[in-house]
Amino acid sequence: MSGEILSIILRRIAVAIPLMLLVSVLVFIVLRLIPADPVAMSMPPNATNEDIEALRREMGLHLPIMHQYGIWLGHILEGDLGRSIAFGQPVSKLIGESLPATIELAAFGALFATAIGLPGGILLFRLRGRPSEQAVDVGSTLMMSIPEFLWALFLILVFGVALNLLPFAGRLPPDMTIPRLTGFLLLDCLLTGNLTAFLEAIRHMLLPALALALGTVPLIMRLLRSSLLDVIGEDYVTMARLRGVPERRVINRHALRNALLPTLSLMGVQFGFLFGGTLLVEVIYSYPGLGNLMVEAVRNTDLPIIQGAALIFALAVLTINLAVDVVYIVVNPKLRRAR
Amino acid sequence: MSAEIAIGAATGTGERPLRRALRSGRVVVGGSILLVLLFCAIAAPLIAPYDPNEQDLLNALKGPFWSDNAEPGFWLGTDNLGRDTLSRLIYGTRVALFVAVCASVGTMLVGTTLALLAGYFGGVIDWLISRAVDLWMSFPPVVLSLILIVGFGVGIGNVILAIVLVDWTRFCRVVRSEVLVIRRQNYVDAARLSGFSHLRTMVREVLPAAAPLIITLMSLEMGIAVIVEAILSFVGMSVEASIPAWGVMIADARNYMYQSAWGLILPILAIVTTVLAFNLLGDGLRRTFDARLQQH
Amino acid sequence: MSLLALKDVSVATEASGRRVDVLRDVSLAVGRGELVGVVGESGAGKSMVGRLIASMLPKGFAPSGGSVTFLGRDLLAMPPRERTGLLGDAIAFVPQHPMTSLNPVLSLGAQFDEHLKRLGQDGKAARRERAVAALDSVHLPRPADLLGRFPHQLSGGQCQRALIAMAFAGKPDLIIADEPTTALDVITQARVMELIDELQRDSETGLLFITHDLRLAAQHCQRIAVMYAGEIVETGPAAALLGDPLHPYTRSLVAANPGIDGPVRRLAALPDHMPGLSGFADLPGCRFAPRCPVRDEACAAARTALTEVAPGRFVRSAGACRERSSLLAGQGDLAGAAVRGEAAPILSVGGLGKTFRSGRDWLGRRRAPVVAVDEVSLDIAPGEFVGLVGESGSGKSTVARLLLGLETPDSGRIVVDGQDITGPFQRTAKQRIALIQMIFQDPQSALNPRQRIGRLVTQSMEVRRPPARWPERLERARDLLGQTGLPQDTIGRYPVQVSGGQRQRVNIARALCTAPRVLVADEIVSGLDVSVQAQILNLLLDMRAQMQISMLFISHDLSVVRYLCSRVAIMNRGRIVEQGPTEEVFRAPQHDYTKALLAAVP
Repeated sequence: MSGEILSIILRRIAVAIPLMLLVSVLVFIVLRLIPADPVAMSMPPNATNEDIEALRREMGLHLPIMHQYGIWLGHILEGDLGRSIAFGQPVSKLIGESLPATIELAAFGALFATAIGLPGGILLFRLRGRPSEQAVDVGSTLMMSIPEFLWALFLILVFGVALNLLPFAGRLPPDMTIPRLTGFLLLDCLLTGNLTAFLEAIRHMLLPALALALGTVPLIMRLLRSSLLDVIGEDYVTMARLRGVPERRVINRHALRNALLPTLSLMGVQFGFLFGGTLLVEVIYSYPGLGNLMVEAVRNTDLPIIQGAALIFALAVLTINLAVDVVYIVVNPKLRRAR
Repeated sequence: MSAEIAIGAATGTGERPLRRALRSGRVVVGGSILLVLLFCAIAAPLIAPYDPNEQDLLNALKGPFWSDNAEPGFWLGTDNLGRDTLSRLIYGTRVALFVAVCASVGTMLVGTTLALLAGYFGGVIDWLISRAVDLWMSFPPVVLSLILIVGFGVGIGNVILAIVLVDWTRFCRVVRSEVLVIRRQNYVDAARLSGFSHLRTMVREVLPAAAPLIITLMSLEMGIAVIVEAILSFVGMSVEASIPAWGVMIADARNYMYQSAWGLILPILAIVTTVLAFNLLGDGLRRTFDARLQQH
Repeated sequence: MSLLALKDVSVATEASGRRVDVLRDVSLAVGRGELVGVVGESGAGKSMVGRLIASMLPKGFAPSGGSVTFLGRDLLAMPPRERTGLLGDAIAFVPQHPMTSLNPVLSLGAQFDEHLKRLGQDGKAARRERAVAALDSVHLPRPADLLGRFPHQLSGGQCQRALIAMAFAGKPDLIIADEPTTALDVITQARVMELIDELQRDSETGLLFITHDLRLAAQHCQRIAVMYAGEIVETGPAAALLGDPLHPYTRSLVAANPGIDGPVRRLAALPDHMPGLSGFADLPGCRFAPRCPVRDEACAAARTALTEVAPGRFVRSAGACRERSSLLAGQGDLAGAAVRGEAAPILSVGGLGKTFRSGRDWLGRRRAPVVAVDEVSLDIAPGEFVGLVGESGSGKSTVARLLLGLETPDSGRIVVDGQDITGPFQRTAKQRIALIQMIFQDPQSALNPRQRIGRLVTQSMEVRRPPARWPERLERARDLLGQTGLPQDTIGRYPVQVSGGQRQRVNIARALCTAPRVLVADEIVSGLDVSVQAQILNLLLDMRAQMQISMLFISHDLSVVRYLCSRVAIMNRGRIVEQGPTEEVFRAPQHDYTKALLAAVP
């Protein structure tokens, strides 16, 4: 890789850092709006006003808001996200336990989405001008109308309840345990050499990951199709045909390569959304991940967890976008400067 | 090349946009479904057979009329408290459509205004607005709406506000890039040279050119608003418990899906149908307006 | 025997529900080593000829008669697979838009490699060697280095050279070049044409050169075919055809073309414009008849055949029009009609400068500052037309935007009619609008497609204080349409409902609405066909005579500038390198750049 590309990537990373800081400000401010008083909630009902005031001081709530933010940010940078009000455990520990499950789920979701979306987009493109195009088109509009949390319920109804083919609760059958090594269940199964558990874990993952993927697939399909339609009218495609390049190669080498670029940058955004989609999918599949933790915390108004989880979600999205941008920079020669 | 231009000029114009839109099957189907839903929402007290909150514990978890454990009178069955599913579905359209309309108008106003400013003036204004969009987009929409609702508290007004605050970016990003394209058209410069103020130029020259896109986006946004509201009511963070909403029905029915799968399927179908109608309408409008797609 | 022979070829399609012949009875031959030009205005069907040979007709278009013989075989009867096999190998193409005709994500080397592989060259190293040799043959410096580059890192001229190298690499029997230089600047255009001449001279390759530029074709081709509305109206040896055109249309083309030397005569402009596709169906006879100055009843009804009138010269016409077509010569010497800048200037520009230094790309990389306009000084007298000539990127359009206040200059002064209007637009808008107006290059982009023409041309009355009322605006609109030669019924139409030439008139009418003293016209005839261009040029002359209006006429076309302007300024890289009376500058250019420009004119 040339030094130029490396410097572009470093610049892109530098752009992300202030954004992450702003994200933390936003999280902090929004959750200050809460009408519920976090102090009152963490005190026993018989506490006196002095007790409350003492705790306020201890939590730093009497300080100016910017000052409070500074303290909070300092703690975060040290890895201290506070203590859960409901569980009494450090938030960083709770998040650390649940995050790997969510990452695993989102990664599989993204994998499925790519594996279905890209070939689907090419298929949609190939069908252009045929009578079946309309049917497929309406089909993709229908798919667009089903968000991942409805897919999740729908897949449970079909594959879980009606066909009884696949499990739809948790990550493993209740009678099976795997020692926690990395937190990534599939990895742990392999590390402990437990192949049965590995297959079970995959079976448990299939439905939630598919639900996540199906929410994203129609978007990828449609964008790839329309990019291909744009590209196919470009002069260089005509010129390739005029040079006698076979049609198959024209599509695969000349058109697809260019059409994939905009699709790729959309996928970055979509995978960020997909990561957010884990929230409800985890709730529906009783999947012990970050989303489940957060929804639970929302129901309990467990502020420290909400803050921590929101922050992690935002950081995850920024990281995903960053990663996709880096890939985009590497594969797109147009970003290299004119010499 | 010129041949295509000639054909385009012959057929592409002269017909009023509305009539052209009505020739699209998508617009007609989507629009018809929405009219039916709108009628349900407005006339709910007249057409719903029961009060949506009326409980009949003796007739709990009944199936719809085509199933084995149907109970005459409850056409689409009942939920675990014996409330009539059909009535609850009909009343549910009220929340769904109200949120859809208010939230999409709100996102449109906020998003379009900022997009116009950013795209028209460029420079620092554009930079600031674009960075704000980046910042917002780094929260998954569901997560952001959830923490906003935690901040604001539940209630239909807060749900709408949360959706506007989350989704204005979607509008802003797309409309901004459209405005950038329009801005490069010479007629915008020409208007300035005719003495138009910035405001007049934006309203008279730029906005009408972006209007088809805005209308299309609004239609799609309504679908999104329906989904977000359903998600929030599913986790119990939307409207008060006494107001029937489809998301609440799903959450209730989920615990009884072995006894009565239809109680879960029907509200899902209601949401999907509504969102599909908005998407068909939006898709049809986009195709009507998009000359490039017409040729294909 | 000729290499390629089209015999009575017709191509049909459906337009507005009727079958029309897009090409009608086209016969054309290209011999080995011969350079044949096909000349026509846009929509004449000249590109359709190339597409037909490549079997890439647009959807809905199909050949409906005749034969296309290539190396003794009928292409139209050949199986499609075999026909595709000829492309790139025996028949090669040079495209119109070089910058976009190379795949942006593949390096030049990768694209060459693919092409040579397809031509049957084995071995990656051998292909690379051939690619280097090919790039070398088109005089591209450091060819080995170029192979690693991507298209966006090359200039338009470099891209076109590379594409020409690719076309010639397989030693094809025939090359079809469709407007290969139209997208390029004048000087680059001349060099690329020289290159094509040179490569072709050394080979057996026949070349079909498709262009709208009769003079360019005459300069390089041995034979020329002139097309109008899907028919070939005249073919013959280049020199003879240009020197003594026989068909009324060819005559009018020659007469509508302002020359770079010789006396300046008023151009003879044909009325109206070439009909669109759907219009062809209403023209059973001679398709040129409705615009022909010497037509009679018979022409419009009967189809005429291409007949040989002299050895190698064929004309599609009835005998009558040949005799009367001498009526079409240019009329009236214009010398002396132009105003020389002796009076006090109405527009005076001094030391104008503008540097664009803003801007970073999305990765935060700072873009290098660009000096767009550097110390430009210019005076225009009342009623005088001054030409500003330069290639793309010379800064001439920035000068226009500075004059109009669409950009604010970094330095210098702009004075119109004694009033300083240098400041930012907001502050100077009032004076500017009344004094100086702009005619934009592309009426398609300059006219809001959502507004009716009557409203568009009186746009500036909308913000007048007190606001103008409708009857008043309508009246003014009628005046303006009259002044610009537009029919009164266009007042209620939308821009897309009128022809390209009429749209440009609307564009001009709008600029006239505030009755400004100075007009700035930026490349306003460059997108127009020759016959329509002549109409617009004559309109501008009439406006000067009637309104004593002054104009800064920005153009890359030296012959047009010579026709209109009494003085000319030559601009290169943001600077005016030479200015003076047009005839003097053209007769005895001082600056090297001016000499190069003049030498490049076909």
